[in-house]
Amino acid sequence: MKQALGKLGIKGMTVTDVLGCGLQHGHREIYRGTEFINLLPKVKVEVVVQETLVDQVLDTITTVARTGEVGDGKIFIYPVETAVRIRTGESGDAAI
Amino acid sequence: MKKVEVIIRPAKLEEVKEALGRFGFHGMTVSQVLGAGLQKGRTGLYRGNKYDINLLPKIKLELVIQDNLVDDVIQLITQTARTGEVGDGKIFIYTVDNAVRVRTGESGDEAI
Repeated sequence: MKQALGKLGIKGMTVTDVLGCGLQHGHREIYRGTEFINLLPKVKVEVVVQETLVDQVLDTITTVARTGEVGDGKIFIYPVETAVRIRTGESGDAAI
Repeated sequence: MKKVEVIIRPAKLEEVKEALGRFGFHGMTVSQVLGAGLQKGRTGLYRGNKYDINLLPKIKLELVIQDNLVDDVIQLITQTARTGEVGDGKIFIYTVDNAVRVRTGESGDEAI
């Protein structure tokens, strides 16, 4: 996915190890006689991009990340008020 | 569509997950984070020197849900996660433009 986004010109991203569940319902386990739902390891990738690129990014990510099995993941789009590059103080489009 | 971001004490995770599950919310993302707020961390001692531990381990939960469910979720989480002590955490609500299910390409309400 990093490579695919790089080809679109997106080199900035933040990656976090997370635990998640959805339709996959985590992983049901019995521990000491009690049933509980576990969370599965997932990777969260965050990118801030210009609005004109959003559809392309969605296409790229779904193509690369899809296996067709439950547990493939989700993409969420949020509005961003602004961005600032700490090194230079630039803000807006020049910062992303 | 709204994102509910919740910062809670690690000890409350199981309870909150269970409460959300009983309510019908099974989709969530959980991260281990470090946080500071009114609790202001605490002061530690190492080799005779005092130092400030400003960040405490917390758990961050993220859920994306339909707008009309937000109030119920907030109530559920506060009831379950509250101890009354400083350090209980916070809930933030964000607007979400859209959501996509990677497996099928569905977007909008069907994706959450």
